[in-house]
Amino acid sequence: MVNEKKPLLVLKDICKEFPGVRALDKVSLEVFSGEVHAVLGENGAGKSTLMKILSGITRKDSGEIFLGDRKVDFRSPKDAIAAGVALVQQELSLVPYLSVAENLFLGRWHKQGLMIDWKALKAEAEQLLQRFGLTIAPQTTVEKLSVAEQQMVEILKAMAKPHVQVFLLDEPTSALSDKEIERLFVLLREIKKESKAIIFISHKINEALTISDRITVLRDGVKVITALRENLTEHDIIFHMTGRTLEAKQTTPAALSEKGREVVLSLRDVTVENFVRDIHLDIHRGEILIIFGLVGSGRTTLAEGIFGLKKLTGKIFLQGGEVHISSPLEAVERGIGYIPEDRRQGLVYEMPVFANITLAVLEKVSRRGILDLEEEHRIAKKFVNDLRIRTPHVFRQVLFLSGGNQQKVLLARWLARNPKVLIMDEPTRGIDVGAKFEVRELARTLASLGLVIVYITSEAPEALELGDRIVVMRGGRIVATFENLRAITKSELIAAASGVLAKEVVLNG
Amino acid sequence: MAKDKVVVSTFALIPSLRSIVLRGGSLVGVIALSIAFASLSPHFMTLSNWLNILRQVAVVMILASAQTMVIITGGIDLSVGSLLALGGCLAAVAMSYWGWGFVLGSLLGIAVASLAGLGSGVVVAKGKIPDFIATLGMLGALRGVSLLVTGGLPVPSHFTATQLAGYLPQVLVWLGSGDIWLIPVPAIIGVVVVIITWFILSRTVFGRSLYAVGGNREAARASGIDVDRIKILVYGLSGLYCGIGGLVLVGRMNSANALMAEGIELQTIAAVVIGGTNLFGGRGSVFGTLVGAILMGVLSNGLNLLNVQPFWQRVVNGVLIIAVVVFDQWRRRLGE
Repeated sequence: MVNEKKPLLVLKDICKEFPGVRALDKVSLEVFSGEVHAVLGENGAGKSTLMKILSGITRKDSGEIFLGDRKVDFRSPKDAIAAGVALVQQELSLVPYLSVAENLFLGRWHKQGLMIDWKALKAEAEQLLQRFGLTIAPQTTVEKLSVAEQQMVEILKAMAKPHVQVFLLDEPTSALSDKEIERLFVLLREIKKESKAIIFISHKINEALTISDRITVLRDGVKVITALRENLTEHDIIFHMTGRTLEAKQTTPAALSEKGREVVLSLRDVTVENFVRDIHLDIHRGEILIIFGLVGSGRTTLAEGIFGLKKLTGKIFLQGGEVHISSPLEAVERGIGYIPEDRRQGLVYEMPVFANITLAVLEKVSRRGILDLEEEHRIAKKFVNDLRIRTPHVFRQVLFLSGGNQQKVLLARWLARNPKVLIMDEPTRGIDVGAKFEVRELARTLASLGLVIVYITSEAPEALELGDRIVVMRGGRIVATFENLRAITKSELIAAASGVLAKEVVLNG
Repeated sequence: MAKDKVVVSTFALIPSLRSIVLRGGSLVGVIALSIAFASLSPHFMTLSNWLNILRQVAVVMILASAQTMVIITGGIDLSVGSLLALGGCLAAVAMSYWGWGFVLGSLLGIAVASLAGLGSGVVVAKGKIPDFIATLGMLGALRGVSLLVTGGLPVPSHFTATQLAGYLPQVLVWLGSGDIWLIPVPAIIGVVVVIITWFILSRTVFGRSLYAVGGNREAARASGIDVDRIKILVYGLSGLYCGIGGLVLVGRMNSANALMAEGIELQTIAAVVIGGTNLFGGRGSVFGTLVGAILMGVLSNGLNLLNVQPFWQRVVNGVLIIAVVVFDQWRRRLGE
């Protein structure tokens, strides 16, 4: 039925080349008003470049864009917004110390003479918030909102400009928990009702299948397919995104007895920053322990405490002996590695691949403080091969690598140290499907080699597929432990994490 | 004027020249400036003039090498000029009034400058004070100490020298104004310092840590690098370099005074930035800084030869820094 209408936005043969890479190759696309159009693709497929061109951040090399009946050429984000195309960025553009109302109408405040008409501003903000079913008070300062709320304010900020017809959402769910994602989707459906068009960039297939009307898949800068959602299955999409079929790994959760019961890491009465409390855990050699919890459950705080990034009280035993860890340096020296939730906290982007890999083993690749560059390159090349890090050479700056490959570089850094314990915080977040499989596979391999893997995730299927044991955190405490993972379901897990009974959990998708 | 036009039109004709400019950066600037000055003044392209340029930029080169390391960590050392004055004055006082001799006097100057640098580092790292503020404070305080040490007089002054029979040792004077064959000794020291700095930055664990701290402090910390220690050491090293620079400058002037090399911190920062080092840390090279220092030396030398007023030279220098940064950003955007 949408196809009978005239498209709102038409892209024709868009090309964009960066030195050495053809980012977009004759991509054409039609977007109708009142539809959510998902653009899927692995990292590096050209999604972000397409977004940047549409929002005026980057200029296209060739091709045409039509908005309504007009041919447009955006030279700057200002042009795009003026024409009615608004980008809701991953990095938010709100002013943290101003109120929600002020942010919503930033720069277009109602005035009485030289003064701002606060009453009118507040009233209009309230109206807008209500229209989309948000319960945020307009006078709250933005810094006090959760990331999810900020994101919704960001979207409403674009909605507050009545002439905006096309919304570009770039990975809007990457920082949100499942519940928050649902709220976002409700908001998107509301926007859709007002005959606006939403282009939704993602690499989460299930989200695209939930929210979109049509789906376009990009691969290596080329459009592979555009189809109605109902005509695509998850497997089709994976096939189009990767160009290969990925067989879901059938895992047999190895019984702990097979791996021996040697306890490598024990936590007793652990408290981190007065938020995470009463943590008792024994983690065994070769075990993948999943810490499952929603955003804000304390799982990252616990990890940061163990790694010496946050103040931890209580006792930590490593292979039987008590250790005191008050800085990452001490944690690293004792054989603990940590892959943070946000890759940006771990990588030195300007540095080449090899230097990022050897960053935690500099004393091993040097003598009396002088680096052995050949040894460094040898180690780096070995890990690039072993982990199949896709990079032309080890001298490439990490910033040019895709998210999945960046994650593997971080992994390589710790493997080079040969740690006893590796804490991985949401290691598959924000990376493409192929890399996700590889990262999980690596976690398994490492565990089978005897490492302790503490694997933090908020994705229930991942937790169930990968873990030997799952502890669930909520409100800074461990609220449940599951030993026999065959006996529980995804919904039970989510129920434990969100604190409701299993039957009340509504699963989407 | 006419010359400029010729250059511009050649740009358009040969596209590969554009890529040379894009890649070569400041080095192309040095060559272009040299060609321009050579065609305007017969005295420019002579060996003696070039040796003169090298002699003049040597001290900036030494200090800018230190500045490069500090800036790579994401910091900035505004106190380099004051550190230089402190080290130079103490050394001069010790040599000419206390009879310490060249070796001991030099060691004193360098040691005190290094300690003062370490002090800045401790304030920055442990006091959690922005680098800019900590070293701005040091800039003022250390000048004061130098004034106290010298009593505000040149060292050796005419009065005290005759009374105490104190003169600066010949070795020191040679360091600042001697030659080995034709090459000025200060230039040799400058180049050696640059090479040592290159080695530190590219071949040592310490150098790698500087880049890591400047590129992503959190990542460096999480990789087991002691960020505070690195910060303290880099400021200490800056002090050490400044001590050496102080000796060279005192030798060149055959005199020390507490207010020497005022404003040199800006020249060092300019050399670093012109050399392509990122002011926010994480990226840069000392060879770039070397070229940056030479570019500024060539510019001021050429303008002198053309009899341009010194007042105008300041204007040109300032505009140059801005132009280079604008150019650099433009270059980076094209490179993306």
